[in-house]
Amino acid sequence: MPARTDVRRRLTLTLTGFGALTVIVMLLAPLVGSTSISLSRVFDRSIPFSDNVDAQVFFVARLPRVIAAALVGAGFALSGVVFQGLLRNPLASPDTLGVAAGATLGAMLALTAHADFTIFGIGVVPLTSFAGTIGALAIVMAIAFARRRGTSSTVLLLAGIAIGALLAAAGRFIQYFADVTDTFKTVQWLMGSLDVGSYAPIVASLVPFGIACAGFVTLPRVLDLISLGDAAAEARGVDVVRMERIALVSASLSTGAAVSLGGPVYFVGIIVPHIVRLIVGADHRLVLPASALFGASFLIVCDLIARTIVAPVEMPVGIITAIIGGPFFLWLLFRGR
Amino acid sequence: MLEARNVAFGYTRGSRILDDVSVSIAPGSVVGLIGPNGSGKTTLLRLLNGTLTPLAGRVSLDGAALSTMRRLEVAKRIAVVPQETQVTFDFTVLEIVLMGRYAHLGAFAIEGPDDVAIARKAMASTGTAPLESRQFATLSGGEKQRVVIASAIAQSSGILLLDEPTTALDIGYQFEIASLLSSLNRERKTTMVVSTHDLNLAAMLCSELVLLKAGRVLAVGPTKDVLTTGNIRRLYDVDADVVFHPRAGHLTVVPVARAD
Amino acid sequence: MAAVSRQIGLRAKGLGLILGLALSLQPSALFAQARRIISIIPSTTEMLFAMGAGDRVIAIGTYDKYPPEAQKLPRVGALVDPNVEQILQMRPDLVVVYGTQTELERRLERANIPYYSYSHQGLPDIFSTMRSLGMRVGMAAQGEALAARLERQLAAIRARVANRPRPKTLLVMGREPGALRNIYASGGVGFLHDMLEAAGGTDALADIQRQSVDVSNEMVLARAPDVIIELRYTDEAINRADLDVWNRVSAVPAVKNHRVIVLTGDQFVVPGPRVADAVAKMAAAIHPEVGW
Repeated sequence: MPARTDVRRRLTLTLTGFGALTVIVMLLAPLVGSTSISLSRVFDRSIPFSDNVDAQVFFVARLPRVIAAALVGAGFALSGVVFQGLLRNPLASPDTLGVAAGATLGAMLALTAHADFTIFGIGVVPLTSFAGTIGALAIVMAIAFARRRGTSSTVLLLAGIAIGALLAAAGRFIQYFADVTDTFKTVQWLMGSLDVGSYAPIVASLVPFGIACAGFVTLPRVLDLISLGDAAAEARGVDVVRMERIALVSASLSTGAAVSLGGPVYFVGIIVPHIVRLIVGADHRLVLPASALFGASFLIVCDLIARTIVAPVEMPVGIITAIIGGPFFLWLLFRGR
Repeated sequence: MLEARNVAFGYTRGSRILDDVSVSIAPGSVVGLIGPNGSGKTTLLRLLNGTLTPLAGRVSLDGAALSTMRRLEVAKRIAVVPQETQVTFDFTVLEIVLMGRYAHLGAFAIEGPDDVAIARKAMASTGTAPLESRQFATLSGGEKQRVVIASAIAQSSGILLLDEPTTALDIGYQFEIASLLSSLNRERKTTMVVSTHDLNLAAMLCSELVLLKAGRVLAVGPTKDVLTTGNIRRLYDVDADVVFHPRAGHLTVVPVARAD
Repeated sequence: MAAVSRQIGLRAKGLGLILGLALSLQPSALFAQARRIISIIPSTTEMLFAMGAGDRVIAIGTYDKYPPEAQKLPRVGALVDPNVEQILQMRPDLVVVYGTQTELERRLERANIPYYSYSHQGLPDIFSTMRSLGMRVGMAAQGEALAARLERQLAAIRARVANRPRPKTLLVMGREPGALRNIYASGGVGFLHDMLEAAGGTDALADIQRQSVDVSNEMVLARAPDVIIELRYTDEAINRADLDVWNRVSAVPAVKNHRVIVLTGDQFVVPGPRVADAVAKMAAAIHPEVGW
């Protein structure tokens, strides 16, 4: 890394480096899998798509999976960075503020009620889990921002934890009425799955992701300043109340979209920001975009391992993120800076 | 000229932290805010930099009401040094100082060589230039405060509001910061408002004092006129001797007994 | 094929007799007729009613949905939440419990109430349980008759599909509704797998040797099953749109040839007297050409 005076140069280097990594990973990942396919058959136009097994493995099974992994990884990493800055707590994760508990509750409701409709090709569970996120966000915002002067991070944290606890309790209450099969399905959902198998949910998730990103681009410098304290940030010219609201909404939308697409794989949101900070430093103008790119690559690689390492069966991706992420983080920490 | 005229403030209806407070901060002066805990010193500072809006009265900078000015405009002219700075993430000293340039750059511009030069000059003024690449979190208390002061100078060389800048420091660092503030005022003509518990620091640094008790101004004026045994008794219920110390070159306050 | 199934039947009978003898050697009640039976397990409840001991059952479990005559009985919990107080209060002379409910078993022992410990792995265990349970409640002959009748029915089904080619079948036990996600299917062991084999199909995931396997889209395409059977356990109406999700993997033979079949009913999750009916339904789905 060049001397830490030159943010512009470091930003270019960071974006190029992590960007290249992400592009390479996204290009290679659909080529790897537990089934051997022939690329020439995949792109052979003479075979009708509905009969082309290799093409369906590539375009139905693997490609949506890689794209979903990229979006989910980036989404959780971004919301992780923002929540950590917003709450001034490096241990914060996408599910600290209870919006994620709303997602789980929404999914549980759909599974226990045996709802099985689809809207525009999106299944009921992603829809209800996203609705749950929005509901929880609305409640947390109503509580935390009730005072005209906005919020301290403590109030926000407490409101979030309280709502999270309440929603988790509601979830357990619902499980009480569920039968064994529903509970099993809920447990499966909780382990996360990037095997979306179609493009409709991916396209649908781009709407909340897009809105979230519109918010995220305003945040990097502000997160730097807010991390020194609300009053200090205010004194430097930051509209703290407004920016904290933008941060909360963006991070929640990103979390909600990511959970709908891939299930609750929150560990990515804790560990990717830390790994990125060890590489690029603390400046959020570098950390935010780098985390999005690294989060995407990281989850794609984890999912790739999850679906090949014990072939012919697959492991839940959440286990791989923990097994890889933990030791990698320790190694980075101990090699010194 | 930074001025507060008849300002009042309270967080909840019915209770007022400050009532009918007026202070005038002349350019180039060092004004001390003295008062017991809960007298409203921090609130007054936050009113003076526009972070809080008064319920009554008006705070103005060179005639223009702060409430009519844009946040970033105010920040370019008034900077704050808080009592303590806790950093959550591993910023370097230079990164902390450069944050002071936010008011001039906004959310999207990236600091250029000019901004870095200004930051370095500010660090030189505070004797923190050698610490540039150090992690802020690893510095001593005195070093941290000097860096924060440098950050404030990088933000605005006009007016500095300092909220109990030496309260968290030991006597060595207290002296260090006090000397630094003195020389900044002398060399850069930086206007300062210093809220403090330390009466001796106030006596050393401030040409003028504002005494606050229970949200109201008890006394205001030149230090030698206002820092009296009587006023100290009224403020703190403490019997103290106020004596000019020839070697130190300023008034000193020695508490002797409780006066109740 | 028929010879093999007869052998399995004989072995099960032998196992049943031995089990029955072993279990019946409990301090109280040696072959005495149990008159106040509590069963918290759906399959044993059905077995007891099917062998004619229904009038002696005084309480059933939360999830026991069959037979209709049992529905009016009080419910005392199930695997995770047995209502021990209520069970003790009713003063049964036999409680049928899951083998894993060690805490419940301890409390019954302390109260000096005999219990029958139930566990099952595969299809043969159903018959051995019928026999040993029958013996335990003092209705050995009826238990034997029930088991024998079912074994004959199964043998008949096996015979009918014996000479047919066995299609590769993906037996889906559940998935996320409205999507091809979180699919879990039979993986070569367990009683659902045994039923599939009896019905004349080959488990598409037989080599994995697990009761339940998480199946991804890629796996379905790679395994290329000829038949896909989806099991649903409640009597809700099937949503056609929900089944259309399989069209995403149209290269799978089962999808291309319109051989994705949904079977509903809880007999697929209750390894009891209705197992023959369940196997018959599976066989009809896998071998419609035989004529049922």
